[in-house]
Amino acid sequence: MTCPLAGLRVLELANETGHFCGKLLGDLGADVVKIEPPGGEPCRGIGPFLDDVPHPDRGLPFWYYNTSKRGITLNLQTEDGRALFRRLAAGADIVLETFRPGYLASLGLDHESLRAENPGLIVCALTPFGQTGPWRDYLSSDLSHMAAGGEMASCGYDEADVPNAPPIAPGGGNAWHMGGHYAYMAIAAALVYRTMSGEGQLIDVSIHEACALTTESAIANYIYRGETLLRQTGRHHAPAPTARTQFRAKDGIYVTALISGGLNPRNVRSLADLMDRYGMAGDLKDPKYQDPAVIAENAARIIDGLLASFIASLPAEEVYRAGQGAGFTWGAVRAPEDLLKDEHLHDRGFWKTVEHPELGRSFVYPGEAAIFNGSPWSISRRAPLTGEHNLEIFVEELGLSRAELSVLRENGAI
Amino acid sequence: MAFPKALQNIRVVDFSWVRAGPWATRWLGALGAEIVKIEWPETERGRLPSSTTPQGMETNLNTSGNFNDTNVNKKSITLNVRSPKGLEIAKRLISVSDIVIENFSSRVLQKWGLGYEELCKVKPDIVYVSMSGYGHTGRDHAFTTFGPVAQAVSGLTWQSGLPDAPPAGWGWSYMDDTGGMYGAMCALTGLYHRNMTGKGQHIDQSQMVSSVPLNGPALLDFTVNGRGTRRPGFPPGNRAHWPGTPLVDNYRGPTVAPHNAYRASPGGYNDWCTIVCHSDAEWRALEALMGLPQDPRFATASGRLAHQEDLDTLIESWTSTLGKYDIAERCQAAGIRALPVQSAEDRVENDPQLRHRGMYLPMTHPALGTHKVQNAPFKMSATPATNTLPSPMIGQHTRDIVEGLLGYSHNDLRAGYDDGTFWPVKRPRFSYQEEMLQ
Repeated sequence: MTCPLAGLRVLELANETGHFCGKLLGDLGADVVKIEPPGGEPCRGIGPFLDDVPHPDRGLPFWYYNTSKRGITLNLQTEDGRALFRRLAAGADIVLETFRPGYLASLGLDHESLRAENPGLIVCALTPFGQTGPWRDYLSSDLSHMAAGGEMASCGYDEADVPNAPPIAPGGGNAWHMGGHYAYMAIAAALVYRTMSGEGQLIDVSIHEACALTTESAIANYIYRGETLLRQTGRHHAPAPTARTQFRAKDGIYVTALISGGLNPRNVRSLADLMDRYGMAGDLKDPKYQDPAVIAENAARIIDGLLASFIASLPAEEVYRAGQGAGFTWGAVRAPEDLLKDEHLHDRGFWKTVEHPELGRSFVYPGEAAIFNGSPWSISRRAPLTGEHNLEIFVEELGLSRAELSVLRENGAI
Repeated sequence: MAFPKALQNIRVVDFSWVRAGPWATRWLGALGAEIVKIEWPETERGRLPSSTTPQGMETNLNTSGNFNDTNVNKKSITLNVRSPKGLEIAKRLISVSDIVIENFSSRVLQKWGLGYEELCKVKPDIVYVSMSGYGHTGRDHAFTTFGPVAQAVSGLTWQSGLPDAPPAGWGWSYMDDTGGMYGAMCALTGLYHRNMTGKGQHIDQSQMVSSVPLNGPALLDFTVNGRGTRRPGFPPGNRAHWPGTPLVDNYRGPTVAPHNAYRASPGGYNDWCTIVCHSDAEWRALEALMGLPQDPRFATASGRLAHQEDLDTLIESWTSTLGKYDIAERCQAAGIRALPVQSAEDRVENDPQLRHRGMYLPMTHPALGTHKVQNAPFKMSATPATNTLPSPMIGQHTRDIVEGLLGYSHNDLRAGYDDGTFWPVKRPRFSYQEEMLQ
């Protein structure tokens, strides 16, 4: 079976804001050549590092977001560097770039001229705000995107949990994920179109817009009802306070225990049966709780009393599994490292062992978001070392001599 | 000028409901595919319950604002797929389609007689994307999710909040949005592969599993360095590092200060502005902008991290005198990374960039009237992704699909309404349904 994007050549000129999109393309089978400035892309300097030893080839975020790519160095500020880039672009299917708007054009490498030499080329510029508009040249970070995109306005705490809490930006670099997902979607659509038309095109992706699109109903709540939403601990934003859904289990780990459909008679019966197995049902088995009016009167006691006590009596994983077994959509609030013990993920072959031959070691990486049963989505190699494939690409592929390569190096072009 | 569409002549049979699946097909529709949404009013989830029906309007199957925004660019047919006749019609539709997409629990389509093998008998090169909670394989495949549960179980929730407080998590179903993205990404990738090889396939996407790769650096810190995240100072709120705890990278980017949200004037619920300095130069620019003399404690990155509480107090004493947009504009003019916290109202009404890019453009819906709808976050030069249809009223296109596309007669349509194939027999019909039966 070949990978779904087998045969495609991608040139990636991306920093931390866009390398996730390149990883998606690479893990799905495209031949992604990452083009870095001599010495390496600066985001190689973001930690944590292997064994906490800072080094451009040891950054774990760089490792993670640059799997299934090859890497070369190229100085686009030299004429030799630009000439080599043009040669590579003439044979590429996709160019993914995250430079500030206008930068490539200032080097004579504008999107249109790249496409003029290669009409099938898809050029995707993935930038914080897009190529146009009053904020086009604004500087940003993950945090600033989570602010302006609206994520922070929806995340935070009940006043009772953390008084005067600020809006909270969830961690993990998700602004870059949001931009990367939409960029991938646009590129894939352009690829489909190219199979029918032969034509490439330019794609101008805005991370700010991707973030602004990723707050579920918040926009609809405003547009249709004029509502501003409250931030609530561990649960949905809402125009008015809602019952809590996050409870602390016996081991100190939290559980998300929302009752889908609310406390109706059927759910109360299921809840009573589940808690009764642990002798924790209280009086909830009493038939009077099959009356919606009685349930409504006692709702706060059922949730904040009985359910909270039940969850507090068991470890979080047990609550999660017992709840799911009883038909409740519940989950333990796990830390990422807890996932290594998740047997379901092991069943699905989720974890991948990736070799780092230069270290003589291999490491476990998280794998793919979905199983492609007809064409695998899978990591093919570890992230490239700085300039690791210069010989392979420049000499073996483009046909330069080793002597020419040395001269390029001496002159700072690679 | 009329542009072509990237997915012209592509038809999608869309069994999806609630949010994640419909968010996927919304984009396939914007890209030009014909989306045929198969619905049944008795089991519908996504139109009702509605908390986004405008005040003063009757809440019914056609008046959810959030449904409208989530389901633009689609057609709707009502069809009882659980009846033999309904199943036959669904198969006829699939036989002239390219993609089948659904987000039910793992065995539902199979139970209906529409598992992948059955689909292949009807359309050998079908691209079938299942978007279930836990996937179609693995011991927990029968578990169910909503966004918040996928976020909890995968580690996303845990990475949001202040140290020594409960997880703040995500205030919405991030994994409905993002699960939807993966559904669309998988469908497009499968379609490209089909166009290149002639082969379809079953793509088994899972909301829970799709969440896990979003924690990559934290997971590698554990598998490579043995360092977990149940540690003092994690998660560090809006900061890159929490003062007084071991100095470790927290997976959002470089460990720098300032890196926080600061109160802005006039102190309302969403009056906050974020400021981040990635270098000494950016900090010096901020110091100058605030009109302060250079403070040697803050001259270096390590100094700013060591004195972060004082640093943040100092910055907030400046920001709290200014409006959040004013702060952002002044900072950006001086080369400093600052952006305001924006509510939904801010994004729709006050954000000049989103306005310039045409993020929210009006569309008219037959029941809801004219409202702004969200647009694609990218511009495609040859095949723009645009919203072409408002969300369908339930069953609005049943006649078009059944008679126009599938070639059944008008009498067949009427018979199907009489026998409960196209609408529950005893359920009142909307006026447009009466009209299509004339």
